[in-house]
Amino acid sequence: MAAFWWIVHKDLVSEFRSRRVWPAMLLLGIVVALVFSLQVELLAEQKQQIVGGLLWLSVFFAGAMVFDRSFAAERDEGCWDGLKLLPVSPGAVFLAKWTVNVLALAALESLLIPLFFVLSDLPLAAHAWQLALIAALASPGLAAVGTLVSGLATGGGKGGNGLVLVVLPLVIPVLLAAAECTRLAVAQQIDEAWWRWLQLLGVFAIVFITAGTLLFEYAIED
Amino acid sequence: MVSRLRTYCAESCLAVLMAGAILAACLLAPTESTMGHAQRIIYVHVPVAWLGLVGFLVMAGSGLAYLSRRNLAWDHWFQAAGELGWLCCGLTLATGSLWAHEAWGTWWEWDPRLTTAFILWAVYSGVLLVRAGIDDPHRRARVGAVLAVLGALDVPLVVMATRWFRGLHPATPEMAPWMRLTLLICVAAFTVFFAWLANRRREQLELDSRWVHLRQDS
Repeated sequence: MAAFWWIVHKDLVSEFRSRRVWPAMLLLGIVVALVFSLQVELLAEQKQQIVGGLLWLSVFFAGAMVFDRSFAAERDEGCWDGLKLLPVSPGAVFLAKWTVNVLALAALESLLIPLFFVLSDLPLAAHAWQLALIAALASPGLAAVGTLVSGLATGGGKGGNGLVLVVLPLVIPVLLAAAECTRLAVAQQIDEAWWRWLQLLGVFAIVFITAGTLLFEYAIED
Repeated sequence: MVSRLRTYCAESCLAVLMAGAILAACLLAPTESTMGHAQRIIYVHVPVAWLGLVGFLVMAGSGLAYLSRRNLAWDHWFQAAGELGWLCCGLTLATGSLWAHEAWGTWWEWDPRLTTAFILWAVYSGVLLVRAGIDDPHRRARVGAVLAVLGALDVPLVVMATRWFRGLHPATPEMAPWMRLTLLICVAAFTVFFAWLANRRREQLELDSRWVHLRQDS
C-alpha cells in the first residue's frame, strides 16, 4: 500500500514539476475538439446525436498520449529495471500507474466536456451529474487498457510501436458505451437503456482493471 | 505407414463430411419462403461466425497456457487458431454483408452484433500484426498472450449483444426442422475442418521452429 501511494505521489510530483505530458494532452484535446466543431455544421438536434461520439473520441486520442508516456520517465532515465525489481507486487505498480492515468483523464474530461458543450451550444448544467457519472465509469476502463498496453510496449524493442494498433479495438466497447450514454443523457432519455449502457461501462471498468492487475506481471517481463 | 494410412482415412472422412454439409445446404434444406435461395448463405455464415469466436477463445486459452507453462508449443496453437479465427471472422463479416443486402437492403448496419463482430475482427488483426513485428519467439508469445486474454473479454459481448441490446440482427430465429438439421451438420463439418486446418498449421509452425533451431545450432 505504501509503495502504491509512493509511486502515485512520485509520478504526480514529477509531472507537476516537469509538465511534460499533461499540458500536451490538454492542448491536443482542445485542438481535436475545435477541429471537430469547425467541421461539423449541424442543427441542434443533430448535434445532440453526435456530440457523445466526438467527445469520447477526443478523450481517447488525447488520453492515448498519456498512456503512451506512462512508463516513459522510467524508461528514459534508465529506471525501468529498478521499477521491475521493486519489492512490491506488479499489480500494485499497475494500480499506481493506472491511478495516475485516471487522474490525467479526469483533468482532460473536466476541460473537454464543458468545451464540447459550449462549442455545440448544448446545455451542460442540465446534464452535469449524468456526464460526471459517465466519465467516472469510462475513465477507469480506458486507463486500465492504456496502462497495460503501455507496459507491454515499454518492455521491449521493435514490437512495441505496433501496440497502438490494438489499443483502439480493445477500448471500442468502452467508447461506444460512453458515447451512447452521453447521447441519451443529452437527449434527456435517462431510461432503462441509459442505465444498461452505464452498467456496461461499470462492468468493463471492473473487468479491465482486474485483467490489467493480473496480467501486468507478464506484460513487463524481459 | 500405419500413421500415414490413418491420416488418409481421417482426411477422407473430413472430405466426405464437408461434401455432405455442402450438399445438405444446397439440396436438403428447404428454400426459405421470404428470401429464397439467398437464405442459404446462413449455412456458411453461422458456422464461420461460431468459429471466429471459438478461434479467439482457443487463442486466449493457448496464451494462458503459455504464460503458465512457457512452452512454445502452446504459442504454435495460438498462432494457428489466431490466423484461422481471423479468416473466419472476416468471412463472417463478408457473408453477413451478402445476407444483409438481401434481407435489409443494405450492405452494413451499425447493429450491436455487427459492430461487436467488427470489433472482434479488429482485435484479431491488431494482435496478429503486433506479433508479426516481434522477432524473439518468447516475447512474441508473451505479448500475444496478454493481448489475446484482454481481447477475449470482448467475446462475451459479441455473444450476448443481441440479447442485451435490441438490433436488426436476428437473435435465435425460428427454423424448420430440416433447416435446423442442415445448420447443425454445417456447424459440425466446419468445426472439424477448422480443427484439422489448425492442427496442420500448428505442425507447420513447429517444423519451422525446429528448422530455425537447427540452423542456429549449426
